Amino acid sequence: MSENYKFDTLSLHAGHIPDQETGSRAVPIYQTTSYVFKSTEEAASLYNMEVGGHLYTRITNPTVAALEQRLAALEGGASAVACSSGMAAMHLVVSTICSSGDHIVASSKMYGANINLLQYTMPRFGVNTDFVNPNDPEAIEKAIKPNTKMVFGEVIGNPGLDIMDVPTIAEICKKKNVPLVLDATFNTPYLMQPFKHGANILVHSLTKWLGGHGIAIGGAVVNGGNFDWGDKNKFPTISGPHFALNGISFWEEFGPSALIAKIRAEGMYNFGPSLSPTNAFHLMQGIETLPLRMQKHIDNTHKLLDFLKSHEQVAWVKHPDLETHPDHEVAKRILPKGSGSIIVFGIKGGRAAGQKFIESVQLASHLANVGDAKTLLIHPGSTTHSHLSSEAMKEGGLTDDMIRLSVGLEDIDDIKKDFEKGFKAVKRLGAK
Amino acid sequence: MIIKFKGVETYVGTGGKNLDNTKMTLCFIHGAGQNHLSFVQQARFFAYRGFSVIVPDMPGHGLSKGKPCKSIKENADWIYDLLISLKVKNLVVVGHSQGCLVAMELNRIYPKFLSGIVFVAGSNEIPVNQFLLDLSITNEQKASEMMVTWGHGKDGDMSINNWPGHSHFGEGRSVMSMNMSKSLNNDLNACNNYKDGVDAAKSIEVPTLAVLAKNDQMTPLKSGLKFVDLIKTCETHVLDCGHFLQSERPNELNSLLQSYLKKL
Repeated sequence: MSENYKFDTLSLHAGHIPDQETGSRAVPIYQTTSYVFKSTEEAASLYNMEVGGHLYTRITNPTVAALEQRLAALEGGASAVACSSGMAAMHLVVSTICSSGDHIVASSKMYGANINLLQYTMPRFGVNTDFVNPNDPEAIEKAIKPNTKMVFGEVIGNPGLDIMDVPTIAEICKKKNVPLVLDATFNTPYLMQPFKHGANILVHSLTKWLGGHGIAIGGAVVNGGNFDWGDKNKFPTISGPHFALNGISFWEEFGPSALIAKIRAEGMYNFGPSLSPTNAFHLMQGIETLPLRMQKHIDNTHKLLDFLKSHEQVAWVKHPDLETHPDHEVAKRILPKGSGSIIVFGIKGGRAAGQKFIESVQLASHLANVGDAKTLLIHPGSTTHSHLSSEAMKEGGLTDDMIRLSVGLEDIDDIKKDFEKGFKAVKRLGAK
Repeated sequence: MIIKFKGVETYVGTGGKNLDNTKMTLCFIHGAGQNHLSFVQQARFFAYRGFSVIVPDMPGHGLSKGKPCKSIKENADWIYDLLISLKVKNLVVVGHSQGCLVAMELNRIYPKFLSGIVFVAGSNEIPVNQFLLDLSITNEQKASEMMVTWGHGKDGDMSINNWPGHSHFGEGRSVMSMNMSKSLNNDLNACNNYKDGVDAAKSIEVPTLAVLAKNDQMTPLKSGLKFVDLIKTCETHVLDCGHFLQSERPNELNSLLQSYLKKL
């Protein structure tokens, strides 16, 4: 009897059933580079994409495939490809769809590396980007040109926490026949499944909440299977003949999964940003508890927001679940379970006070990551976003006193106590 | 390839090779609400193994324009005309689900046209319950989702796929959404109204292969086994999966097809 398993069940089971030979309940780690072919005929058919299977771990691997299939199931997508990092996923999407002379419309309020890739690296290869306020659908529509090949943004912006109005922007993209590509790292499929709102392609940094334990770097492209790539003039890399595989048209041969087929045949094959099987295993272990962790992340975030917004030493605090956030109404509509566990705030006393705070807390770790089970802090202006120009920083809403807090799963009382230590240290600094 | 057939833009998949009528031709006929992408793991496989492959999108399905055929007979006539226009000789048809009814009807009304028939998840009748018929009008998307869920066995539920990274359910929904609006209702009615299956099955004279599925909820195994009993010569196999054998058990299905074709 077929079932339509729910999210929590899929988090644990999707992509794997115990094999007949060993009965291994956990997903085995296939730590291998390659696979013995049964015959020369089988080898040729795998290279020629006639049937599914594994030919070399740079392109596919059984452990990695279990992760990919779990992600596709959790997002409600058609297919997925996992890779070495979130930035590798982003690059795979851009380089698979775009060629020299193409154009991208992207959010101006994104993670520094996403902006750097589009602003500095891709123009060297003839792909140019116009950055637009993600909260201004009209501006996004105006920025789309005949050679625009995608609209790119983050569901929850990093670190400014701007929320994209995904359904509205998806409508615009549909009208203009361009795919809407979203970085869905901060929301994870637990908080929101963007395909249900009309997005077409997702990129994830699995390193963050999906993996959730700060032990493995990984990324993924998840394909909604809901975009028509059939316009050969507009999307020749997907629907036109491919230089290899006897001029195959991925759109004709693989339909809704054309993008993923092309990513494997070109991106994974030629660039090689593969995910190690052991990291895939670690990331899947994290996904097994994603629903439990995300709910606790959200619960702790809400409690910490109450603490911070009433604290006398906090100058300002920003989170989309606060009524004061400019995108609060959009957040309520598209992220009803909560808008993630990143809080940004400023401490009275500016940058120096912020630095003192970061150096004085003990439980919260000062490092360049988010989405760990543990509470993390950083000063984005001098670290994760330091490569941005002052104009881009301003456009992205980065202030000099901003602290980015990734709320962990510790007992909330202990986090508050730890923060009080930091606030006391700041007070002593002021007294000197 | 896209061709103009009867003045309508029509997609005919060839498995990545040119048609070659000096070879045996395999024509794959998709099921209700499906299109050529039902046979992703068969088309290229057989095209690169010495066969000329034709996988058409029926009118209003997949990449083909035009209005969907109203009945199984109309579908069979359309396929016949298409194959004649492509000057196909030495032909074996492989039907899936509704495609089995079309293949059987094609053989009944054009005897001697086929050298062999393969039924994948087939039966001589495919009655459709009124709930699904109604839902395919009132909420086509929901009806498609239900068919995708019912259509797969445990591998679908668990997102187990021999094609790395692919989801049976997600991909199944996407494939069905490519078709023209109302085509699903049209197909389901065509299946439901087809009453010539017993005669058509009994009239089969060519060597026949039937590959059925143990956990098929669309054309149940019981019905499939009754069907194959009506056929004079039918090699029958049952695989442990759901209705979509082509994607759930592609290697086993391809292997059975290869063995069968060798005997022709």
